[in-house]
Amino acid sequence: MTTDRTHSSVWSHLGAAVLVLVALVPFGWMFVSSFKSPAELNGVDQRLLPSHLYFGNYTALLDTNFFRYFLNSAMVAVGTTLIALFLAILAGYGLARFTFVGNRGMLLIVVAAQMFPAVMLVIPLYTTVKSLNLLNSLVGLTVVYVSFALPFCIWLLRNYFLAVPVEIEEAAMIDGCSRFRALWKVVLPPAMPGVMAAAVFVVIQVWEEFLYANTFIDTDKKWTLSVGLNSLIGEYTTDWGRLLAAGVVVMIPVLIVFAYLQRYVTAIAGGGVKG
Amino acid sequence: MSILQAPPAARTPGAGTRVRRRRRRWEPVLYIAPAFVVMALIIGYPVISAIGTSFLHSSLAAPGKDSFAGFSNYVDLIGSEEFLGVLGRTAVWAIASLVTQVGLALFVANILNKKLFARGFVRTSIIVPWVVPSVIVALIWRFLLDPAQGPINALLRNSGLLEAPPAWLASTATALPTLIVIGAWKWTPFAAVILLAGMQQIPHEQYEAATVDGASAFRRWFHITLPGIRTSLALVCLTTISGSINNFNGIWLFTRGGPVGSTDILTTLAYRTAFQDLDLGMAATASVVIFVLMLIIAVVYFFVVEGRSKGRRS
Repeated sequence: MTTDRTHSSVWSHLGAAVLVLVALVPFGWMFVSSFKSPAELNGVDQRLLPSHLYFGNYTALLDTNFFRYFLNSAMVAVGTTLIALFLAILAGYGLARFTFVGNRGMLLIVVAAQMFPAVMLVIPLYTTVKSLNLLNSLVGLTVVYVSFALPFCIWLLRNYFLAVPVEIEEAAMIDGCSRFRALWKVVLPPAMPGVMAAAVFVVIQVWEEFLYANTFIDTDKKWTLSVGLNSLIGEYTTDWGRLLAAGVVVMIPVLIVFAYLQRYVTAIAGGGVKG
Repeated sequence: MSILQAPPAARTPGAGTRVRRRRRRWEPVLYIAPAFVVMALIIGYPVISAIGTSFLHSSLAAPGKDSFAGFSNYVDLIGSEEFLGVLGRTAVWAIASLVTQVGLALFVANILNKKLFARGFVRTSIIVPWVVPSVIVALIWRFLLDPAQGPINALLRNSGLLEAPPAWLASTATALPTLIVIGAWKWTPFAAVILLAGMQQIPHEQYEAATVDGASAFRRWFHITLPGIRTSLALVCLTTISGSINNFNGIWLFTRGGPVGSTDILTTLAYRTAFQDLDLGMAATASVVIFVLMLIIAVVYFFVVEGRSKGRRS
């Protein structure tokens, strides 16, 4: 930012402090409460901090399939990210180099693709997935997630490829490199921030998704985190400690990814499509 | 930070490949086709299929025994007791989400755009609710608002503000407003980041010139900031309203449309009809109604925003 801007007022700082508190206090409360014993959580007289660190809520998680859900979500996230990025790199490159679709036109296509009601698509997809015998399979779920991630990833990557000078790949191709090889060897490296942003977008989407996972999968062992956790909420409504501990465990990878890749997350939001 | 504006296009695409063009005319297809085939199969086909199903009597309980229904699903749905209520509630939900989220986002983006102490930390913290999965948001807020064990009601009681605070998510009067507030908590950051990206593209000289001319902070905001973020603002309104109408997690994970249908919107109605009542034809019909709403919004957006910016486009 420019340096000649006058320093902002106390009011702006006060406003910013309130915003940070509103955003973070609910998470903080979850974290602190996950170390309270059931008696403390049930107590009428609520205290902010637990009287001592109680780990029973975390060990209670071992009685559930929680870690299985965690693994399932991780597998779907990795599979979806790899496939979606591969397809989106090809398509994004193709659109950047071969066609004349304008930036604004592409953005509208992406936004339009995002506007299709998920609940409309789930009904036919359920019957299709069922007839392909892919119900209860993480593969079926991955295929669906890939296609939902594609429009935005293609748009994002296309923009990054447009910024890579054509001369780079021409030089490589004169040296005898095929176009396909040139894409991976010389065009992709300068576009890596775009690839990272797309990957973060896909992971956030997969971690968030509930509707399709809940519909396509009904064996407990195959559930993803969203579905598994939602069912635990239904099952243990009076055992908040265990649920809060589960919430904390789910938050950890989200926050690690987020802390590392924060600038890519803002790139996603800047891209203008609701994740 | 923003990728809203296009990175400068280096060259006319494919300029250097003219020599090979004859031989390689099929080449673009190889790059573009795989992704678009996948999208056509998983997004395109179901849309058409759902529209088709809305004209069928089709039940999950009797697979393969579909029969043609004509418009009877539409007549039954629109004539049903709950439909008008659900449609109205969807409108309330969407408009309230739009007003709260975009309104708050304007305020938030304005603060984030100021020169703040630890601005990076402030920006990062504010986006956290948006990156966290909805199921965690549901877990946290259902706990915070729990009538017996939740801290919010305990706080209200102990401080004497409310003698008997309501069971926020379990009472028909408070459930929908509560969900609107929670939705604002989760989604405002997203809208704010887009608006912030728009604000950062406004040349700083405009503000300096206006200050020299003696324009007040309010006038500067109204005459420079607001016109400057017009495109981002339009996009945020579009994604927020379509996102709220399409929103399923933001309701289902909290109340499943209850209590007594007081938070039931079109998406939850369609889902319940399909997978609890097993009536696919009727569910498809409800989803077509959502689709039509989306089309109307897209057309309005196109005429209002695109029509206006014609000729001014870069």
